[in-house]
Amino acid sequence: MSTNVKEYLLELCCSYTVVSVLGAVVNILVGGQTNNINVLVMFSFCAIIVFVLSLHRLFDAVSPLVMIIVQYLVACGVCALLVLVLSILIEPVTPRGWFEFWRSFTIPYIIGAGYYYYRVFSDAKKQNELINELREKRGEM
Amino acid sequence: MKLNLYENKNDMNEHVDVYYSNMRPVIRQLIDTVNSERPSLSGRPADEDLDDGDEVLLDPRNIYYLDHVERKLFAYTKDGVYRVMNTLAVCEEMLWNYGFVRVSKSNLVNIYKIVQLKPDLNMKVYASFDNGERICINRSYKKSFSDYLQKMRGMV
Repeated sequence: MSTNVKEYLLELCCSYTVVSVLGAVVNILVGGQTNNINVLVMFSFCAIIVFVLSLHRLFDAVSPLVMIIVQYLVACGVCALLVLVLSILIEPVTPRGWFEFWRSFTIPYIIGAGYYYYRVFSDAKKQNELINELREKRGEM
Repeated sequence: MKLNLYENKNDMNEHVDVYYSNMRPVIRQLIDTVNSERPSLSGRPADEDLDDGDEVLLDPRNIYYLDHVERKLFAYTKDGVYRVMNTLAVCEEMLWNYGFVRVSKSNLVNIYKIVQLKPDLNMKVYASFDNGERICINRSYKKSFSDYLQKMRGMV
């Protein structure tokens, strides 16, 4: 099995575990219930999103901001397509359902993107300190 | 300049003899290289014809970064730009211990010449040098760049 596939499966397992545990916690807190279709949809969403995010190497030439926006649009579009197919095959999705889908997709994505943004700046700060330390030791400053 | 190399596996007393007519910069650089045992790159000023330009030895400490453009390798120093007749991969291996790290497919930067790392609003991170130039640190090389800084910290 190639390294890329192994990495993908590992990330999928981790993200699905986090999502399902969080979902269970939320259900306990608000007294909600889930069904088998929801579990499968949740897994499919995880598989799609992890796959789209794992394509980040294709976006090396563009800025991370553009990459985040493009990946959001692609992942959201593919997931919406899946919901549309399920809506036709199983049960029609109401306008409120579409809104809930968009909200539950967008909020975690924005939180993740915000964290990435923060890491870019905090990493640069740490690396600046390291570079200054190295330059000082070598008497370049 | 004529170069003679003599290999003698039994000779434990390795030495270099320099015969010169006057103490030109290239001779001085050669002496510095032998004395310090640092690697040096030979290059020619990029704005001159390769056959006419005087070859100079470049001290890695004076190089800001190496840039690979259209199958040609250029070294950027405070004094100017030099064409280096070597590949980026060879330079990377040769200069690894001297503060040079790959930050993109075509750039090798000297970390001791970086004044500041600055992320843009679009999340691209740039390394700024004291000559005002800046080089983008590619996302794919971000981790290796960070690891390299940690390794150098342990070595210095």
